Amino acid sequence: MRKAGACALVAATALLAGSVGLRVTAADPPDRWWQPGEGRVFPTRLDYADPTGVIRVVLDGGPMATQGHPFFTAIGPNGRACVTCHQPADGMSLSAASAARQWERGGPRDSLFAASDGADCPSLPQDARASHSLLIDHGLIRIARPWPPRDLNGKAISPDYKLEVVRDPSGCNLDPKWGLHSADPHISVFRRPRPVANFKYIEAMGFAYDPKAGLPLALDPETGKPVSGNLMADGRVPSLTWQMRDAAGAHLAFARKLDQGDIARILDFERHVYVAQQRDDRGGMLDADGAEGGPEQLRISKPGRLGSQGVPVWSEFAKWEKPDPQARASVSAETLAFRASVARGARIFRDKTFLISDSAGINSPIGFGNPVRNSCVFCHNMSQMGMDVAPGQVDLGTTNRPFADAMPHLPLFRVTCLGKPHPHYGRVILTHDPGYALTTGRCADVGRITLQSMRGLAARAPYFSNGSARDLRGVVDFYDRRYHIGYSEQEKQDLVNLMSAL
Amino acid sequence: MKSALLLILVAAQQAAAPAPEVRFIACPVYRDTDAGRKSGCWLADDPASGGRYDVTSAPTKPDWNRAILVEGRAAAKDAGNPCGGTVLDPVRVSVLDQPCTRFMLAADGYAGRRFALPQRNVRPLYETRTPPSKPFAARTITVPFDFGSSFITYQLSDFYLDQAINYALDVQPARITVTGFAATDHDRVSGQLLVEPSSLAKERTKLVTRSLIMRGIPAGLIRESLTHRSTPSTDPAFDGLATASLRRVEVRIEPLSTPKISSDH
Ligand code: HEC
Ligand code: HEC
Repeated sequence: MRKAGACALVAATALLAGSVGLRVTAADPPDRWWQPGEGRVFPTRLDYADPTGVIRVVLDGGPMATQGHPFFTAIGPNGRACVTCHQPADGMSLSAASAARQWERGGPRDSLFAASDGADCPSLPQDARASHSLLIDHGLIRIARPWPPRDLNGKAISPDYKLEVVRDPSGCNLDPKWGLHSADPHISVFRRPRPVANFKYIEAMGFAYDPKAGLPLALDPETGKPVSGNLMADGRVPSLTWQMRDAAGAHLAFARKLDQGDIARILDFERHVYVAQQRDDRGGMLDADGAEGGPEQLRISKPGRLGSQGVPVWSEFAKWEKPDPQARASVSAETLAFRASVARGARIFRDKTFLISDSAGINSPIGFGNPVRNSCVFCHNMSQMGMDVAPGQVDLGTTNRPFADAMPHLPLFRVTCLGKPHPHYGRVILTHDPGYALTTGRCADVGRITLQSMRGLAARAPYFSNGSARDLRGVVDFYDRRYHIGYSEQEKQDLVNLMSAL
Repeated sequence: MKSALLLILVAAQQAAAPAPEVRFIACPVYRDTDAGRKSGCWLADDPASGGRYDVTSAPTKPDWNRAILVEGRAAAKDAGNPCGGTVLDPVRVSVLDQPCTRFMLAADGYAGRRFALPQRNVRPLYETRTPPSKPFAARTITVPFDFGSSFITYQLSDFYLDQAINYALDVQPARITVTGFAATDHDRVSGQLLVEPSSLAKERTKLVTRSLIMRGIPAGLIRESLTHRSTPSTDPAFDGLATASLRRVEVRIEPLSTPKISSDH
């Protein structure tokens, strides 16, 4: 059957354009969870309720039949598809709440919980809830990276640091088959699925250089062309094509390479799908009364622009600063108050400065200074998307002690720098996830994590690559502690409201 | 070398009598002024004179855990006193591999400086660039470096590197010669010996060559020239700071199809 499916994929050369004309029936809406191989039609616009309103997915050039489509079809033996972890209702990511719901509904039978990475470790008894606790309780997927790190050609990199396991609650890092000392040594870290949407922005190159590296943008060895450097928490893949192969092997247990037809269809889907919050329960439509929230604006805007030199980041909500009399009269006081809060939040995000210190990628090696006074928008600087226009590997301390919050459920590693000490931590670093250093092999990169896009946040809690912020308030509180910002209660609420409206 | 230094001084003096070059090594002090983003102040005291200098205008800002080498000149009188120190401008800061105790001062009534985008900034790819007009001239573009470093300094070296790359791309085919220099002569600053290893000249050369190739310049057209003892350069990239000019890479771009006209140099 898999074979037949693969043939069908090769034959299907007509991509999105070929599927126009399909109709979506309004009756009996299907469940919010997309199972692989259901053969639903992906409409041009897809709305789902989320904790604070409605998330909208726009498929540019849709609708599209998903029957046999490699993103939506179990192409490996474990029954999973890409869509399993990149759910439309969760902003094309996967919320911890959805993972918990799937466990309630199907337990270990749901392919989401496949042993390879939907469990804390494949060697654990797969029927037990406790063996999947990181996914169910924190929305985390096991990511196994080779140790020592390998470059894109599979060649071993000799790292300038030593890696030791301090604590291993999942058991996977010390596991005789899966661990660091096994015959095929891997380090297991646990990460949130990053949204599969808005790639026009994520792939965009604003400048020809990576100022954090002091070099031109890295080249994709496959095409020889520069890449944005903004994929995956640890920047391990240069392009969506590389990512796809990585995912097919790792998450879907797909033994053979995806063929050209599969790759083209997945790429085409990825590059046409946009996600953003569309409606807020209190604020109403996020593109109402002059505001420009929602995914439609993403579809039509130019990507890769610096907010500081063009359209200010989150100026989508500028019109809500001073609503015109007509808008004022037509909505409730609660709605007006929410909108004003979102507009203030955008200002706080851009203008409220604080001292950023000891964050590699910002305070070193690039010469911004340590410390440097700046705001949220310093790093989250791309118009409409709030990610970094440059390759965005920065160490906030989300995974490194002492800055990271207590996370007894996560593994802890001791990194010892063998050459030069780390510019901010010294020779020894305790980390839950070395991040970018697992790609580069450099101790100076330990804990540097690629900035995510900031759209559709409301639908995909928890936040940060290791899920350490349970909700948006948790994000703001983390920054407040980390950089001693001293936000007022009102400012925190304004930031939370802003981010819930993205 | 002495005579070359003298020449620079003479040339600079003809413009307007410049303040003497100030050079020292010190632990930096951060003053937490707040006039918006990037408005904090960096101060450093010259151990020889006890004078406190404002080095905030340097492209590379200090790290409060590390000593810095300061190279600069006092700015004109109208530079004011936004930070609590004699303003150095032009000024270069190099972060050294020497630990310092971090220290932060309160703003104490100092305003700091509002951030303005420096003149030397790389333009985004989406902005249209005016290509150079024909006939193409041979040009030498100089990329400066911090002491002891081969890192491309943001909003200084990257600006010149980008110029070199763009010119090299625009005037193809061209022969490109990359020559690296390091400050390998013994030099005593604030009682400390400052010497760059000659391998650093090579490292800088390799880095610039690699950057040219990454941006699409055929490797076959690039020649790395033998590095040698550095002499000061009057290139505008150094704003007349002679010792800073010892650390550089020169990218010589000679169009192949047009007669060679030397512009700079
Ligand atoms: C088991 C869950 C799972 C499955 C199945 C899965 N992914 Fe992912 N995906 C993730 C996780 C986790 C990440 C983040 C990994 C990281 O940061 O290291 C991710 C990241 C991505 C990214 C990077 C997005 C960004 O902005 O960095 C893309 C693209 C992606 N996945 C596409 C796919 C495709 C295509 C498939 C099917 C071939 C797929 N995924 C299957 C969990 C999954
Ligand atoms: C020094 C750079 C920097 C600054 C300043 C900064 N961020 Fe971040 N931000 C990051 C990085 C890096 C990540 C990814 C970290 C991770 O996943 O572990 C991130 C992630 C996030 C996320 C998580 C997105 C997701 O999908 O999980 C949110 C939300 C966020 N930041 C909001 C803010 C807010 C609000 C501020 C201001 C208080 C701010 N950021 C300031 C660098 C920065």
